[in-house]
Amino acid sequence: MPMRFILVLAVVLLAAPVRAEIPAEQDSCLGCHGSDPSMTMDLPSGEKLPLHVDQAAFGKSVHGDILRCTDCHTDKADYPHESKPFKNRRDVTVAYYEQCKKCHFSNYTKTLDGVHFQVAEKGNRQAALCVDCHGSHAIGRPAEPRTRVSETCSNCHKKVFDVYKSSVHGKAVTQGNPDVPVCTDCHRAHDVADPRAGALSLRTAEICGRCHTDPKLMKRYGLSTNVVASYLADFHGMAASLQKGKKGKGDRLAAGCTDCHGVHDIQRPDDPKSSVMQANLVKTCGKCHAGATADFPKAWMSHYEPSLKKSPLVWSVQIFYYVLIPFILLSLVIQIALHLWRVVVNR
Amino acid sequence: MSDEAVNSEAGFLLRFSPAQRVEHFVTMVDFVGLVLTGLPQKFYTARWAQWLIGNLGGIDGVRWIHRFFGILLIVAVLWHAVGAMRAILSRKVGFSMAVNKRDFTDAVTTLRYYLGLEDHPAAFDRYDYKQKWEYWSLMIGNVIMILSGLTLMYPAVVARFGPGEIIPAAKVAHSNEGLMAFLVITIWHIFNAHLHPDVFPFDASIFTGSISRERMAHEHPLELARLEGREPGDHGHGH
Repeated sequence: MPMRFILVLAVVLLAAPVRAEIPAEQDSCLGCHGSDPSMTMDLPSGEKLPLHVDQAAFGKSVHGDILRCTDCHTDKADYPHESKPFKNRRDVTVAYYEQCKKCHFSNYTKTLDGVHFQVAEKGNRQAALCVDCHGSHAIGRPAEPRTRVSETCSNCHKKVFDVYKSSVHGKAVTQGNPDVPVCTDCHRAHDVADPRAGALSLRTAEICGRCHTDPKLMKRYGLSTNVVASYLADFHGMAASLQKGKKGKGDRLAAGCTDCHGVHDIQRPDDPKSSVMQANLVKTCGKCHAGATADFPKAWMSHYEPSLKKSPLVWSVQIFYYVLIPFILLSLVIQIALHLWRVVVNR
Repeated sequence: MSDEAVNSEAGFLLRFSPAQRVEHFVTMVDFVGLVLTGLPQKFYTARWAQWLIGNLGGIDGVRWIHRFFGILLIVAVLWHAVGAMRAILSRKVGFSMAVNKRDFTDAVTTLRYYLGLEDHPAAFDRYDYKQKWEYWSLMIGNVIMILSGLTLMYPAVVARFGPGEIIPAAKVAHSNEGLMAFLVITIWHIFNAHLHPDVFPFDASIFTGSISRERMAHEHPLELARLEGREPGDHGHGH
């Protein structure tokens, strides 16, 4: 091995004056960085920066047979490497993070609209960068298996992940069920929306609706696909739809799906922990409707269409107008027609 | 001519007092305001509705405007009710909008006339059966709109005193009654006050307060006879 390394190095060094712009070959880098697993560099922060590359892991990664070391480590084509003033490991990550955009430009642009970039721009150095989610040398396909997505987010968002894990969706994900949403299905991956502004909760009908209006998917669980339509037909859905374009905290007043059902802690409506369980409804409605009493939740027909059985009063009023409006209008139009006919005949 | 309201020189009579004209004007503006902010909420998925809501300050603004006009309607209805009560109690004026048996026979006579079974339409007093029908429809409609509107404005309060189901029922009633009022006004009122051959293009009497003696003789012969101190039928019909 050392013999081969020296030979390769010699070739590279000899070629250097003529072809300096051509990056060093994989093998020559791995000659140093692939041999000693304990190879590290001491940083001023006291951290050790590992310098070893797991060749097998990189080989298996999505980039294994596409990229060479210097495609990303562009400043390391020359040996000895130019030394950089890295104070700590985060400095290294931040310094190299923009390398990905050379190839993944559209996803990089998306991140500029994301909440991680927004907080990073304000000086938060812990905000997630490409490699924090995707890894660096051992990058695999991001959603294989799907459960990995939420686990990746949990590296930073541990508390929320624990809540999600015990929700109806999270429990199913842990059991390997691919039907349920993982973090990025609602929050998106690169242009992660800031959920605190309220803009996300006004879009819940569309987000939750992607699965909850899919007949094939809902049939598997015996769930209705009418939940979004019945929501949109009612007051909350109307107001939320029209407020959708707005941003900012004070602007919203209409409940979206998650305002009643919960966000990461969504449970089946018959689960005692569910916020839409009968026994918990007064409290849930009371979040917005101050002074809600025991009968107030019945103001919402629980996504049901009014029927003689479910809401006889609402159904009766509806039928009354379905009959009355055409009857009245028809009577008026007939009378006007007769009147005009008489005027014409008299002339 | 005994009545001061009769201006014989110009051939015009006073039909509506200034207070009545103001009341009609306020109701008209109020109705337009309620329709412009109410219908787009009912048909909010339509493009015109979203355009309208966007231009009226967004849904939150539209709801406040709607409430403002709603409260104005409550004031107008109460104001009108007080006036009507006073008219009923004063023997001199009486309540000319009261429905009586004659209105039903008038309706039958007029419909028979339209069909060619009668030589003349019915002779009417101050308000004909169509006007009374519109008046009472509006009155009942207003009461429904006010009660259901207040229910939607204070759902938690209403649910404290009655079943929660009243609230979605009020929404269905408010939404349908409002649509019906809009359609009745656009079809019936616009026909009778604008497109009607006798008044085309515009019956201005509710704005000017006056009506020509000729039109009175034609449309309200019984009232005219009473105003002029004659027995109805002296002059026959307006024709």
